[in-house]
Amino acid sequence: MAESTWTFSQTFSTKFQSTRSDLEKRVNTAKSSSPSQELLRSLTIDLAKLTRGLADATGSLPGYDQKQYEIQVKALEKDLENLRASSAPKSKFSFKKKQAAVSIPAPVAVEPRVTLEQSIVAPSKNLEISSHAYTYLTTDSVSGPPEQSELTISDLDHCIVDLLPRASVSDSGSGDIPHNLSPRVSALHIQNLIDTVLILPEINGSVLLHDLIRCVVVVGCHQFRMHTSQKVDVFLSISSNPIIEHCKDIRFSQYPQQLSSSGMGDKPAKELYVQDFSHIRSTPSPHWTLLGDESQDRKWPVEWIRGRGNLEHTLSMLLPASPSLNS
Amino acid sequence: MGLLTIIRKNRQKEKEMRILFLGLDNAGKTTILKKLNGEDIMSVSPTLGFNIKTFAHGKYTLNIWDVGGQRTLRPYWRNYFEQTDALVWVVDSGDRMRMQDCKHELHSLLTEDRLAGASLLVLANKQDLRGSMTEDEIHDALDLRSIKSHNWKIWPCSAVTGKNLVSGLDWVVNDVAGRLYYSSSSTVQNQSSLGIPAAESDNSPPGILAA
Repeated sequence: MAESTWTFSQTFSTKFQSTRSDLEKRVNTAKSSSPSQELLRSLTIDLAKLTRGLADATGSLPGYDQKQYEIQVKALEKDLENLRASSAPKSKFSFKKKQAAVSIPAPVAVEPRVTLEQSIVAPSKNLEISSHAYTYLTTDSVSGPPEQSELTISDLDHCIVDLLPRASVSDSGSGDIPHNLSPRVSALHIQNLIDTVLILPEINGSVLLHDLIRCVVVVGCHQFRMHTSQKVDVFLSISSNPIIEHCKDIRFSQYPQQLSSSGMGDKPAKELYVQDFSHIRSTPSPHWTLLGDESQDRKWPVEWIRGRGNLEHTLSMLLPASPSLNS
Repeated sequence: MGLLTIIRKNRQKEKEMRILFLGLDNAGKTTILKKLNGEDIMSVSPTLGFNIKTFAHGKYTLNIWDVGGQRTLRPYWRNYFEQTDALVWVVDSGDRMRMQDCKHELHSLLTEDRLAGASLLVLANKQDLRGSMTEDEIHDALDLRSIKSHNWKIWPCSAVTGKNLVSGLDWVVNDVAGRLYYSSSSTVQNQSSLGIPAAESDNSPPGILAA
């Protein structure tokens, strides 16, 4: 048994190293010229395969080797990401109005396999808020058939999304647009947000998040899963244990009392017990912390924000990267 | 004969089945099991590791293994393949974004030698959500038609309301039973005395491959 594991580890290492160095060469060659989209795509796919192979070999390799290989793969990923950024600097937020959510090359390629596969998505029939930049969004911005119970929020940059019921008591009064989302929406899919603040109601269901960078998320739910995200502050009311996977610098706190509209706010807040699936060890995870009580004093916008200047100002007050919070 | 024969005989007597619940994270695997077992589903946390549930279902005892579906846990799924009589693949019918991911994971499972012969039940969960994908849409999105290696069935259901959960389980149990305990008890006895356990005999009922 030990013999076969050893043999496997030997062959795997040889194969892994040759694939990796080959890939490294190709990335370096690509750096000197301007790489085509196909080349980038094939590099991404090959790297994803390599990553997959390594993940599958978990447990059959010596711990030290495994760690080293992971570091090497990470370095490659970083190289590739830089390459992608330099070859297409403008592609980051070139939103197209129609179905753009599907085709936008994800700026964060932490998990290349996932982003690639999103290119073929079943026709969307969900409620949706997608592809905005520098915008204040409320329930009026939700598109889709009003009777749906799933909401997708994706591809936002420098936005504030306020879907609390009170926010909708604004300009356009009636209509088909769903104003109070919380009783009906019971599944939330959130993806690809940068520098964005989400203020969401307490829903009866689960929330699934992918690829958030420098964001604030206020939400109440039954289940909370966050993947491949960094620098996010989460204000959460939850009846189970929230989990994170492949995340960094996540800070958790309770759902702000002042925003809580339902009876949930009356209950004594359950202590948050976050589980980090990328750190399954007895030591505390380095990827998340609890925010102190002072976080509850954050000034949440309660009124419609007009004008880009006001929006940027509010964002700078709320987002985790802002200096005022990193005291 | 040896210990193995005794264990197998015993297994036949008790009519046990081992069922493996897999699927992407947020599919509702644990919630389905809790609902079937009449437990509270409001406080279900994402599964870190696995749960085992033992149900009596008709005249069979089901040992159900529910393994977490987070990406970091998927490489460990293979540790649970051994001796699996049926695979229940749970799908979040509202998760359009990850249908491709879901399809790949399922099809790569089906190439596993150790799952060969296991019945496959695809549970299209969360049908209570308005606007979720229908049974037919999921059938196409997961390319179920191409599955020839396993006896399979897709079943729309809802863990929250409990709709179709029991009937789905009925199908899978009957399908496994038809294969494992197909022979009447007398023939089982005969085969056992020859040292050929019924569970591994080539005596598949007709239609088992006609998925």
